[in-house]
Amino acid sequence: MTAAGGGTPAAASPAGVGTPAAAPAGRAARLALAGLERSRRLTGPVAGVAAAVILVLLLQGNGFASTLVVDILVYAVAAMSLDFMAGYAGLISLGQAGFLGVGAYGVAIAENHFFSPWAAVGIALGAVLALGLALGIVAVRTKGVSFVIITLALGQVLYGLAYQWTGLSEGDNGITLANLPSAGPFDLNDPLTLRMTVLVVFAVTVLLLLLFVHSPFGLSLRGVRSNEARLAALGYRTGLHRYLAWVIAVFFAGVAGVLYIFVNDLISPTTMAFSADGFLVVMVVLGGLGSIWGPALGAVVIVLFQQELSTYVTRWQTLMGLTLIAVVLVSPGGFWGLVRAAGRRRDALIARLRAGQPGRPGPADGPGPAPEGPPLAFEAAKPGTEPPQAP
Amino acid sequence: MPEFIAQTLNGLTLAGVVFLVSSGFTLVFGIMRVTNLAHGAVYLLGGYIGYSVIGSTGNFFYGLAAAALATGAFGFLLERTLIARLRRSEMAELLATLGLIYVIDDVALAIWGGTPLTVNLPGVLGKSSTLPVDGIVYPNGRIFVLGVSVVVAAALYYLLRRTRLGAIIRAGVDDREMVGALGVNVRLANTLVFTLGALLAGFAGVLGGTVLGLYTGADSDMLLFALAVVIVGGLGSFEGAILGSLLIGLVVDYGTAYFAAFAYSVLFIPVIVVLLVKPQGLLGKQGT
Repeated sequence: MTAAGGGTPAAASPAGVGTPAAAPAGRAARLALAGLERSRRLTGPVAGVAAAVILVLLLQGNGFASTLVVDILVYAVAAMSLDFMAGYAGLISLGQAGFLGVGAYGVAIAENHFFSPWAAVGIALGAVLALGLALGIVAVRTKGVSFVIITLALGQVLYGLAYQWTGLSEGDNGITLANLPSAGPFDLNDPLTLRMTVLVVFAVTVLLLLLFVHSPFGLSLRGVRSNEARLAALGYRTGLHRYLAWVIAVFFAGVAGVLYIFVNDLISPTTMAFSADGFLVVMVVLGGLGSIWGPALGAVVIVLFQQELSTYVTRWQTLMGLTLIAVVLVSPGGFWGLVRAAGRRRDALIARLRAGQPGRPGPADGPGPAPEGPPLAFEAAKPGTEPPQAP
Repeated sequence: MPEFIAQTLNGLTLAGVVFLVSSGFTLVFGIMRVTNLAHGAVYLLGGYIGYSVIGSTGNFFYGLAAAALATGAFGFLLERTLIARLRRSEMAELLATLGLIYVIDDVALAIWGGTPLTVNLPGVLGKSSTLPVDGIVYPNGRIFVLGVSVVVAAALYYLLRRTRLGAIIRAGVDDREMVGALGVNVRLANTLVFTLGALLAGFAGVLGGTVLGLYTGADSDMLLFALAVVIVGGLGSFEGAILGSLLIGLVVDYGTAYFAAFAYSVLFIPVIVVLLVKPQGLLGKQGT
């Protein structure tokens, strides 16, 4: 998990205050170095464990906190799925909420047509996968701006069907789900079991996406994003890479949709509307394109605003729109970009301190380029990414 | 048959409004490669401004002019501030205009509320007349909207084919770098085209408000129509915008009339077919 980023802001704050020009040798420097190295090793795992404990505790209650957390987790799965293709393959989709809808409608429609709840889940995920495989043939023929436009069109076809094909979807009213799957003592109709299952699915999604990202496939995907011609010249099948990234992303959006209907018992077309597609993109961009964790943070912020703070901050959409514009203008890395930058500052400080230690060659294990590369900009030619700091 | 003729006329009216919106969108994309997702929001904003000005002055044409001028000024400011600062990345521009949609929609909601509004046409335009064919009774307002969009299309055609700015725009669609290298003030041309695009969208908002109404979501509907038009017609192509608008207007209207369950989705059948067969659009340039 540490591989996903440098560390957390909490760990980075001491790095921020320390002056790099401090006396090279000496006891203080050695202590600081040890502390910083410990923080580099531990912040990832500690933050992960802390987050897991907090989530489990929050999900125990029946109150509004647990409802909110569950909603956030569902949207985080969808946002991370979008980030997988947007951040790593450069495919920003404005139709991702449509596939969330297909997952949710799939379960509801199948169950209303006399399939068992478990079979309904299988049918829904199968439908999403089949749709992803089919529509991908159209969608990944394009990239960049054209891809955005085409996914927007595809998403709206799905929305239009949900809205107008009342025979199947019951139109504006949406469909309710009566029974959730159960197997012996494991019963999703029990609220606590359901909430814990959502958490587990979220965790598995994170693990799988990170696994993909750090696999050779994930690496060549990033190569396709930043210089497709070169990857193609090296013999990579770049179109196939984009296609697979699309299919994986669509599938996980469908998984989020299945969770969505389990949690809400209701799916209606607004969940798939253009603004919902936009919200997912906002989560990803605010959180940090190409970081998996960042979009989960983005989901926290957006769901929190949408469901809770909208009562107090009436013009929260204005605030959100302006924030998105500000992030695009000044910090293309989003929230997670700030976290990464803090981690890089710490690494740079460690390298400086180490360089000051007698008998230790500094530059050899200096920071060099950050392990994860700079925060991803929107295109190959990256604006606003600082060059790797030399020690 | 009379019903079919009336539907066709409805489709042509819709095509007229869609053309006004998408022509600006496609020209902006053509010369600047800016995908302005907020174009639909500017359309709705223009409609609302027109509605308010008509309400306070009692004159439809003042409202039309005020909406066009206000959205034109908004487009000018937008280009000079946000878009100019983001010149380096198409995707950044797209995302920034996505953010702008939320801002414009939210502000419009705060000012004009969520109730659908209709812009009323004055005098004889607000009445209906009997057409010479099959005795169809048809609203004059729709024919007026159709007529205005034909006039605007002719004016735009003149601008593009017969003026220096038009030559620069057409050249810019073909090869931006070359136009800049020839010493043309591309910066100024960008601003003018962006302003013109926003102005047309606001103008269309008032006309669209008479036949389609003004409602939350009209912005994304119109944005989608415009996107469908430019995919079908070809990004940056003026003639493509005319052809695409006709196709989309008629498809949407026949769809609504004859296949209610799929009305919204049939809109995208031409889009997907064109993408598969001719990805650059029917009249698009190769490699755009």
